[in-house]
Amino acid sequence: MTVTDIAPKKRASRAKKPVTVHTTLVIGAGFTGLGTAIKLREAGIEDLVILERADRVGGTWRDATYPGAACDIPSQLYSFSFAKNPNWSRTYSPSAEICAHIEELAERFDLTKDIRFNTEVTALAFDKREARWEVTAGRTKFYARSVVIASGPLSDASLPKIRGIDDYQGVKVLSARWDHDFDFTGKNVAVIGTGASAIQIIPELVKVAGSVKVFQRTPGWVMPRLDSSTPAAVQRVFEKLPVVQQAARTALFLGHEVAATGLVWNTPITTLIQQAGKLHLRMTVKDKWLRRQLTPDFRAGCKRMLMSSDYYPALQADNCKLITWPIATITPDGIQTSDGLQHELDAIVFATGYDVHLEGPPYPITGIDGQLLSDDWSGHPQAYKSASAHGYPNLFFTCGPNSGPGHNSLLVYAQGQIEYAVSGIRALVEQDLRWLDVRKDVQDDYNVTMQKRLQSTTWMTGCSSWYLTADGFNASMYPGFATQYLRQMQDFRIDDYDVASNAAKRLWNIPADDTRTVAG
Amino acid sequence: MATSTQAQPSTAQPSMNMEDMLQKIKDRQWALADIDWDAPGVEKIPEDFKPKLKAFMADLCWIENVGARGFAAMAKKAPNDTIAEIYRYFHAEEQRHANAELALLKRWGMLEDGEIPEPSVNIRMAIEWLDTYADDMPLSVLGTVIPMLEVALDGALLKFLLEEVHDPVCHQVFEKINNDESRHIAVDFAVLDMIGHAKARKLAIDFVSNVASPGLIIGMLMYVPLLNRMRNNLVDMGLQPEKLYRAMERFEKLGRRGEYTHRVPLFQVLRVHSKMVVDPKHPYHLLANSMVTLSEYYPRALFRPIPTWFKELTYEPVTKGVKKGMNAA
Repeated sequence: MTVTDIAPKKRASRAKKPVTVHTTLVIGAGFTGLGTAIKLREAGIEDLVILERADRVGGTWRDATYPGAACDIPSQLYSFSFAKNPNWSRTYSPSAEICAHIEELAERFDLTKDIRFNTEVTALAFDKREARWEVTAGRTKFYARSVVIASGPLSDASLPKIRGIDDYQGVKVLSARWDHDFDFTGKNVAVIGTGASAIQIIPELVKVAGSVKVFQRTPGWVMPRLDSSTPAAVQRVFEKLPVVQQAARTALFLGHEVAATGLVWNTPITTLIQQAGKLHLRMTVKDKWLRRQLTPDFRAGCKRMLMSSDYYPALQADNCKLITWPIATITPDGIQTSDGLQHELDAIVFATGYDVHLEGPPYPITGIDGQLLSDDWSGHPQAYKSASAHGYPNLFFTCGPNSGPGHNSLLVYAQGQIEYAVSGIRALVEQDLRWLDVRKDVQDDYNVTMQKRLQSTTWMTGCSSWYLTADGFNASMYPGFATQYLRQMQDFRIDDYDVASNAAKRLWNIPADDTRTVAG
Repeated sequence: MATSTQAQPSTAQPSMNMEDMLQKIKDRQWALADIDWDAPGVEKIPEDFKPKLKAFMADLCWIENVGARGFAAMAKKAPNDTIAEIYRYFHAEEQRHANAELALLKRWGMLEDGEIPEPSVNIRMAIEWLDTYADDMPLSVLGTVIPMLEVALDGALLKFLLEEVHDPVCHQVFEKINNDESRHIAVDFAVLDMIGHAKARKLAIDFVSNVASPGLIIGMLMYVPLLNRMRNNLVDMGLQPEKLYRAMERFEKLGRRGEYTHRVPLFQVLRVHSKMVVDPKHPYHLLANSMVTLSEYYPRALFRPIPTWFKELTYEPVTKGVKKGMNAA
């Protein structure tokens, strides 16, 4: 339905109908979206709505159901400090348990009532006259003074563009959208990709499939993952004495912070980490040639570190084989490699990662002057403190530009982003502001510093990764310790923003579309 | 060592568009299954020619495999990502050639089921050398030796084979192989030219430090008899040595076309060496042939186990499931 469909008379009567304008609208009911809602409520902001495209909460952890799916950051650190879970069953929890924890958060904080399920955002536009965001979700419109985008960096995935992929007659399985109807038992299977998902899937497939051929393009650095179950007694202690759990969490946090000296910055520690990776390879892989094929060519940290203790053994199982020949094409029966061979396959698993939207969310976001975020962010996405973008007032990003951790828990970073957004929204509400728009000069200065600091990081040592845009610009990672990131996110400065105030508008009777701003 | 020996992308511009070349390579991939291995034509090979052909094809197929391993080493040294990717393909393509040549042997009834021909002692030496030293050799060494081998293969061996063998399937296979090889040679010489673009001081340091290295010395001791054995095999089969020599001259000719190639010291060494190989009366052959004879006495027990990459060859166009070990796919 479009507005033009409606008769003029009817349209006029509709226009008069008052709309509900929420204080805040949150996009996504995953970890970050729910965390934002919890903290907003805590700050006294009750009028909020959460839009979720699926029919239940959980986000990436609801969708990542492939065999072996688990986090590769210790669970104690993979939760919010304000909503801990004392009952993690293992050091690294499987995805179902993480998803259950997210569902439990929704219950515990009574968030479900504010979630509109099966509602996928298709457009965002700032209405300058009314100083509000118009959020389109299919045929429905929502209005809110502020919006928090919490749709996560790994929420979309699609089949890769490999030659011949459409001709394949067998079963195609995407790691991020696992096909549970297909029984892999005894089947001849290929896995394309050797990233974080693949190294979790392969050991599980090797247990059941007839054969598993692993097609590798670039090997990554793999560190052993020392996973064990958490004894019930420890879980009870965490439950009864939260301070003990907090201490464990702090210790893990600091341990990861130390790793930044080698994983974030390119230093002799990076070399030391590589030595550890090579030692792991040497101790677990017998064959010299296989070791060579599994030895990365890039600095540790440049691409995401892989954590697994069962990947290397699985590759050496009798029914598994690593294939490093380039894929020439996918054929109706399987895969043809450049060494001239056809591999006949019953199923191909594409563990080829996610569609990371470095250039902004996959729907149009229209700013204060009618400009599109996808244009502003084309090539080189830039934001201020990863959370605000000039020209898009009252809009807060989570997992925005230059917010990624290379060495620590994403949840720790997300918590910082939530705090920042809540501070901004509080300022909006408590100071009765029309809008907060980050100043262009402040944003530019910040990004100059970011790019300067990024130069000495491992991510810029020459590997190609999904952290970088096509021309090698790093718009995704934060060059520093998590502690530094959190400090900047805890420091919301209203001076960094152009502020339009309702009080000023009333006092001076400024017309609604006046662009004059009043410093806050 | 590795970082100091790479060509410098900042100063060296390739004389060809490598992106276009990579795309062309991706577009021209073929598979063993594209060929009808049971098509008529086997009868065109005379019975008395078969034993010699088998020995020759076995060596040829192993040399392709050895060349493949050379490209694998070069992929690690490539001056940029595109060339590294090209070398990844070349590595696979050499393997494809070896597989196709095995399939021809199989077609001609020269292989039992599951049989893979035995590599000669000189091949074993080459394998061992590659496995030990290749990954540590700088691009300026690998980038000079590989074109030499490719030119010899492309220019002499394959042409000779097509003159002597009248099986149409063999011609079909080698037409495909030749097309691949012409791209290999084009890239080889473009990269050699890039290498020559580096600062003279760097080229000299690279050369001196590597001449003194055990890797290169052993490499030369391995290379001399390998080349002469091939030469002798060919002469036994009735090839006029001039053909091989003409191919070696092509190495010099193609190198001369590059603007900077002449500045690569090893290129000059190989050029002079090829002149000696070319001259049948040169005293060099006394040395080289005695090295071939001597190598026959090399105690097999001294060889380390054959590396697993060497066991990946197969004549089967289609594989299902996982087979490990010899004739794996």
